[in-house]
Amino acid sequence: MSVGTLVRRFFLVEMAQGMWITLKNHFRPHITMEYPRERPALAPRFRGVPRLRRDPGTAEELCVGCLLCEQICPDDCISIVVDKRPGGKGKMAKSFIIDYERCCFCGLCVDPCPTTPITAIYMSHDYELSDYSRQEFITQREALVDGHPLKRYAK
Amino acid sequence: MFHTEILEVNMGPQHPATHGVLRVILGLDGETVVQCKPVIGYLHRGVEKLAEHKLYVMIPPLCDRLDYVGSASQNLGYIQAVEKLCGIQVPERGQYIRVILAELNRISSHLVWLGTHGLDIGAMTVFFYTFREREMILDLFEAFCGARLTTNMFRIGGTLEDFPPGWIEGTRRFVDLLPSRIKEYEGLLSTNRIWLERTKGVGVISAEDATNWGLTGPPLRGSGVNYDVRKAMPYAAYDRFEFEVPLGTHGDTYDRYLIRMEEMRQSARIIRQALDGLPGGDFRGKVPKKIKPPIAEIYHVIEGPRGEQGFYIKSDGTEKPYRMRFKSPSFVNLQALPALSNGALVADIVAIIGTLDIVLGDADR
Repeated sequence: MSVGTLVRRFFLVEMAQGMWITLKNHFRPHITMEYPRERPALAPRFRGVPRLRRDPGTAEELCVGCLLCEQICPDDCISIVVDKRPGGKGKMAKSFIIDYERCCFCGLCVDPCPTTPITAIYMSHDYELSDYSRQEFITQREALVDGHPLKRYAK
Repeated sequence: MFHTEILEVNMGPQHPATHGVLRVILGLDGETVVQCKPVIGYLHRGVEKLAEHKLYVMIPPLCDRLDYVGSASQNLGYIQAVEKLCGIQVPERGQYIRVILAELNRISSHLVWLGTHGLDIGAMTVFFYTFREREMILDLFEAFCGARLTTNMFRIGGTLEDFPPGWIEGTRRFVDLLPSRIKEYEGLLSTNRIWLERTKGVGVISAEDATNWGLTGPPLRGSGVNYDVRKAMPYAAYDRFEFEVPLGTHGDTYDRYLIRMEEMRQSARIIRQALDGLPGGDFRGKVPKKIKPPIAEIYHVIEGPRGEQGFYIKSDGTEKPYRMRFKSPSFVNLQALPALSNGALVADIVAIIGTLDIVLGDADR
């Protein structure tokens, strides 16, 4: 063992060095978040649960019932029944059900959606989906459009 | 004089230091380990079989969940294997974006390793600091693709999307910040007496043994074998960048620690180069509507954060793979656990499992 090592050992140099780093970090801004009361700012591309949307201008159903999202879903969580669009040409989804219990939030269903300029199915910013029964996760079209009520907590 | 026998002790499957659900049956002679038998399979989900029933485009989410700490590498490897199988060309910008994200993922994976490895050995503080920096990477991932852990950010033919506005600046800020933070971790660990005692000379494996066991990644390079898939068989755009492959000399836990620290710096260097030379143009190439590869077999390897990730696909000409096989570095590295832990103390087993940096989701598949 060299003299330098001995000196370092005797004066606990590595300990002082570590403590100095800890002290430095003590004065850095906090990064923890008091979660239910404080919420993180989500990125615009955040992938929450998939939801449906209507045309923002005319409030008409955007989904044309092409079944592409149902086919590409790796978890088979989307089931659609297609019907003729009432009072117009083309098709629409008579019923559109997403089983959130199976969904893995991969976002593959959004890729092939043919409606332009905005897709009928989209990854929303909704999270926090826990519920008391499994039935609650099977979501019908109306709930898919309206979304889930987000619980708010007072700080 | 006294009657002695080897005591058999179960470590795991619910031991916090086994990084998942790994059971190690230890034969103990006092404190010394004389037998070591890893038992895996607690996290087996049959991903390879599941993949046979899915279209080629549906499989990336499954790959994400193999090695959930390094999901971008898994994604990249699988998608490149499919592209190789179908002969799909990826534009230069797409390749660069892939490299940037894969390297960011390598840094985040190494940060998780450093934090948990330190936690196992007893250096608690590092854990909080590494996870703070990892959070920055996860935020970048969230901004790019919307998810933080199981990212599913690459698509066949390119990437999901281009960089969002402000992303490149954010990444630059992070990459510039990282070396100073790595210095801090090293300040806490590299000369720390306890850390040295716990890592130096623990889990030693010679270069020859390491190659014979088939180790890959940092455990192999820690023994001084210069093998990195990024250099040996460059994929994506790795041949365009300058970086060094750090090598160890002793093949012990401390060397593997130094290598991973240096790898983080080199990853930051690659990201900086890629951001500087980011070409314009498309990020996603022309891809047929239906991915229907010819009847062929393909094996593609990439350098994941843990080592050589292999992807074997056998196609029978339909839209689904006929056979799928993932070669995971965690599995091969774990095989060497008995060789590494021979004659070690019980407390060293924790350090050795940590230094192999296994993810059981990857080992069990």
